[in-house]
Amino acid sequence: MNAVNARVVSGNPLRRKTKVMRPWDWSFPSAPVSHREVISGQPAEPSDRPPLLMVHGVAHGAWCFAENWVPAAAEKGWPSYAVSLRGHGGSAGARHLRRTLTRDYVHDVMQTITELPSPPVLIGHSMGAIVAQLVAERYPLRGLVLLAPAPMHSAVGDLVAIAKDRPADLGRAVIGQTLSMEPDILFEGLDATTARAYSDRTGTESPLVQWELLLRRTVGPVRCPVLVIGTPSDRLVRPADVQRTADSYGVEPVWFPGMGHDLMLDAGWDRVLDTVLEFAADLPAWGTAAPR
Amino acid sequence: MSALKALLQNGIEADGFEREADVGGNWNFGAENSRVYESTHLISSKPFTQFPDFPMPDAYPDYPSHRQVKDYFGRYADHFGLRPRIRFSTDVVGAVPVDDGRAWDVTVRDRITAAETTYRYAGLVVGNGHNWSPKQPTYPGQDTFGGGIIHSADYKGAEVLRGKRVLVVGAGNTGCDVAVEGAQNAIHTWHSTRRGYYYNPKYMTGRPSDQVADSLLALKIPLPVRRAMFKGSLRFAVGDLTKFGLKKPDHKFFETHPIVNQQLVYYVGHGEITPSDDIDHFEHDAVVFTDGTRAEVDLVVFCTGYLVSFPFLDHAWLNWHDDHPQLFLQIFTPAFDNLVVSGLIQPDSGQWTLAHWQGMLIARVAEALRQRPGAARGFLSRASAEADRRYSAGTEYKNSTRHYYEVAHQDYLGVLQDAIRELEVSA
Repeated sequence: MNAVNARVVSGNPLRRKTKVMRPWDWSFPSAPVSHREVISGQPAEPSDRPPLLMVHGVAHGAWCFAENWVPAAAEKGWPSYAVSLRGHGGSAGARHLRRTLTRDYVHDVMQTITELPSPPVLIGHSMGAIVAQLVAERYPLRGLVLLAPAPMHSAVGDLVAIAKDRPADLGRAVIGQTLSMEPDILFEGLDATTARAYSDRTGTESPLVQWELLLRRTVGPVRCPVLVIGTPSDRLVRPADVQRTADSYGVEPVWFPGMGHDLMLDAGWDRVLDTVLEFAADLPAWGTAAPR
Repeated sequence: MSALKALLQNGIEADGFEREADVGGNWNFGAENSRVYESTHLISSKPFTQFPDFPMPDAYPDYPSHRQVKDYFGRYADHFGLRPRIRFSTDVVGAVPVDDGRAWDVTVRDRITAAETTYRYAGLVVGNGHNWSPKQPTYPGQDTFGGGIIHSADYKGAEVLRGKRVLVVGAGNTGCDVAVEGAQNAIHTWHSTRRGYYYNPKYMTGRPSDQVADSLLALKIPLPVRRAMFKGSLRFAVGDLTKFGLKKPDHKFFETHPIVNQQLVYYVGHGEITPSDDIDHFEHDAVVFTDGTRAEVDLVVFCTGYLVSFPFLDHAWLNWHDDHPQLFLQIFTPAFDNLVVSGLIQPDSGQWTLAHWQGMLIARVAEALRQRPGAARGFLSRASAEADRRYSAGTEYKNSTRHYYEVAHQDYLGVLQDAIRELEVSA
């Protein structure tokens, strides 16, 4: 395992100035969903640590964090929460998945945050990392953790890589079907049965959200510390894209060689979690991260 | 409260003083200076009313009630850890600049023990609200009037109207609400207004009407076209208001603070409300209007609005002109760079999105004053020059105390955005 070499930075280069005007959010707000699944684990002793909120990626659900991370982090004294975005896991909204946009996921995470006792450390995986960054420009997080983050600067490169690796998958994505979540794409170190079982739990993704991954997005100032984690053998998000995401925040990614895209499920998930908890334990008090 | 949170969020130490025992201010129903009544609901819908970084729950309706609003404020205070930073049940009795204006001595009085303490702060944010000090007109013969007279500030619910003949004065949103409650509860209601108004519906095309208006703004539809569209849709749905005996509006759409009330015209049509002229004078048992008609009434409710009041500050420090302060962006006074006012705006939409960004700008200025005084002073030097600038998106507001603080929300917010960006450190 790599040494923890993520610099805890106090702020990051401002890639875009503060965005105050959001006329489309005011005039066409996201429709509420009737039920939102939030799986939580609480430490045995009450703690003053910030809550951890975990956001899954394409076709996953809160279950992928509930499997290992939520109970393990709670055991170590961290109030932990994982949310299922609309149409995923145990949350409502599957019927409207075909017209769901990334901004609806941002709405779901913002709603979940307001139900937490205090500002959380937000952990986003893959597509969930884009949602997390869009939340971070709207809301004063304690810290931001990006796991194998899908790139804000457009996933065209990843799509090309997928096309070379498995051409059929390109076709599926283009016509709006969900990207392949086969075990060998997500995992490296799990036994075949477990890997298959996890793969089978993945569901459907909104085609619009998948297409939106190709867009180039800018993010306003993110003042909280940022941690970026990747794996060199990722078959969905190229390491070069993880590096570029980290660069945009002025941090070095922490790499976990020998693991697949699903860093919270693959063998070695505990070492990744330790890195995240180490980062979270070092965070400055809310509001005191000095601006750069 | 949003300014306190913005300061803390940006690493600036701050304390808050609140006269009541809980957060909520105007929305703290039942508190001495709360001006909401039993049936108060928001008249702007959630998306532009809520704090942008703390949205109202999905479970709330489009137009939440005052109880939901107070609860929302409470959760906001808890979530961001504001309560430990607020001294409750504490009056601010005086604030004076010291050390050549570099600091403020703020004297507070504990409302329970009456003990007074003075604290010194590097800066002062005033957010005591602008809808609590009643504006009450007087008319000839008012002293000899045998019935009751109250201001809407003391109106808490419809029971005071029950079984009475009521005159409601004023066509603000409160005046219209009270007139409607009169129609539902009183024997009969007269509604005296200075001019004719446009009565906007809460919904259009199945969506909250402010969201419809915001989508037209987002599409950058020009003002005359928006005016024509809103006028046309009211014309189609309700028609000529003069046929109901209501006055013809003497102004264009968007030139007065919007009234959002669908029920008033409905109850005029039911004969429960009689639209009336201005009051000319009172008699012992009646009110005589300027057109000579008389109404025998038992109770007069003045829904005539509020005046801004800062009892603990010298008005000169706030660039007072005639009867109101003139402030750059409704926030900054030319007299001091460490005295600001928060929330002194009357938007044509929701309040707290604007209050949030006001707070963020105040925090940016405070931060810049410490770290880059040159940039901060450069920004604040415009305070004198632009103190009288209005943010009306091209309309001329009717001259009234009601419109001193009126801002067109998207126009005003665009200027706030520019100001925040100007002070933001670039990479």
